[in-house]
Amino acid sequence: MLSLFNKYRAVFLVGLQSNLVYRMNFAVRGFFSFFHLIVVFILWSAAYTGNPEIGGFNFGQTFTYFVALIIVQFMIGAFNEDYQISEEIRNGLINQFLLKPVNYFAYRFSIYASARLVTGLLILIPVIVTYPLLKDYLTLPSDWWRLALGLPALLMSAVIQFGIAYCFGLMSFWFLEIQGLVVLSMALESLLGGQIFPLDLLPDWLFRVSQFLPYYYQMYFPVAIFTGRLSDPSAIMVGLGIQAGWMLIILAIGQFLWRRGLRLHTAVGG
Amino acid sequence: MTFLHYLRIWLTAARYSIMRTLMFRGDFFVWALVELFWMTVNILMVSVIYEHTKSVAGWSKYEMMLLVGTSLLIQRFLMGFFWSSIFEMGRNIRSGNFDFYLAQPGNVMFMATTRKLDPDSLVNSLVALSVVIYSAHQLNLQPSFLAIGCYALLVVAGIVIHYSMLVLCISFAFWFTSAQGIEGSYFTLSEFSRLPREAFKGLANIVFVWALPMVIVSNAPAQTLLHGFQPSLLAWVVGIATGWFALTVFVFNRGLRRYSSASS
Repeated sequence: MLSLFNKYRAVFLVGLQSNLVYRMNFAVRGFFSFFHLIVVFILWSAAYTGNPEIGGFNFGQTFTYFVALIIVQFMIGAFNEDYQISEEIRNGLINQFLLKPVNYFAYRFSIYASARLVTGLLILIPVIVTYPLLKDYLTLPSDWWRLALGLPALLMSAVIQFGIAYCFGLMSFWFLEIQGLVVLSMALESLLGGQIFPLDLLPDWLFRVSQFLPYYYQMYFPVAIFTGRLSDPSAIMVGLGIQAGWMLIILAIGQFLWRRGLRLHTAVGG
Repeated sequence: MTFLHYLRIWLTAARYSIMRTLMFRGDFFVWALVELFWMTVNILMVSVIYEHTKSVAGWSKYEMMLLVGTSLLIQRFLMGFFWSSIFEMGRNIRSGNFDFYLAQPGNVMFMATTRKLDPDSLVNSLVALSVVIYSAHQLNLQPSFLAIGCYALLVVAGIVIHYSMLVLCISFAFWFTSAQGIEGSYFTLSEFSRLPREAFKGLANIVFVWALPMVIVSNAPAQTLLHGFQPSLLAWVVGIATGWFALTVFVFNRGLRRYSSASS
């Protein structure tokens, strides 16, 4: 048991180091996110002019939602995990894991966890630096129960994020080129995960439909709990149940694709 | 003579791209779908915001649709004619494969940025155009031929500006070979082009409307369709298109001098 832990701890530490080496990439992405936040600010403050509330929330609450979204993205978002997995399958690097007592899912998840630990901590730097500028527009609710329900939601969102990327990466067993599929699912995720606009602004029936889709639990759900867009603890508990369900389904699909894919795998190169 | 020479080169490249697309039809289909979906996401965002408000910075729903449609139209043309080539240019500069273009019979910037067409984006430009026409119809606009001609000219100027910004962003790869993802800076900047100019106030107005051309690129043609031909607006956009293009050529050539090929 301990040796199992040590094995993936080593992977985690290597992942940590390689992410610290490529911190320039992080800086570039962080910079873009800042510009994206300016777009959000300009668009929504124009939309709020003359409307004290949109969908029952004031400007501060909506802007806080978008700021939290960016932070959470850096903490749990799976950016290029699908691409990396796809590359490892295509150029045969995956073969080495077939010969060693290493579980590929656990290996990849350790790298993902270390990468998000680095980016999740680094994103706090620009947030702290710009805090004096932002603080007049931020309104965070202070209920303690939000932390108790939001943290498990955040952790399950991370597993769902990674799980979906893992499944898409494994598609490379069947398709030569998965980039198109990945970008298509990214578009779907950003819309139904609430990155374009808070999902609660959708017409009521659509909002309810979205709650049964996995995308809702990828990003919107934890962010909405933390920022006060979801406020009914019992409804959140139901949400956590659905989220756990989706998490298990996605993990099962990943396992299924891995087994089926390996049967097709011809181990070219290596 | 030189024009014909370049046209011939371009047509050869275009023919090659179309043949390639016919070979990978599945790919074409998926990417066309991807772009169509992203455009729908933008349109949906406008619809959702206008579910809750009547006007954003003085623009009504269909005026905003017309603006977003115009912005998407310019972007589709940029993607269709240049994106793949420019995106690959960044990678080629890092990997050293850029040598290939130096040996070709023509201007390096032209050769490197016009090599591939993306028919999927060009197909989607029709969708973007339909969004513009549909919005104009909803607004009961009856633009004069002059306004339509001016709109077309402004769209072309917009493509020149977007092209310049994108090549400029990628040209930094000559200096910072380790920075990946600088291509993304273009997409971030292009987000601004879907906002109405009136929404920018104070410092944001100076930076994003006057210093960077992204906002005016889409606002100028949209305003021309909505309010008729404005000579000063046209002069302004053509002026900045020329200026940014000249700057890009300058930076690109400076970068080219630094290019030393790579060993790995």
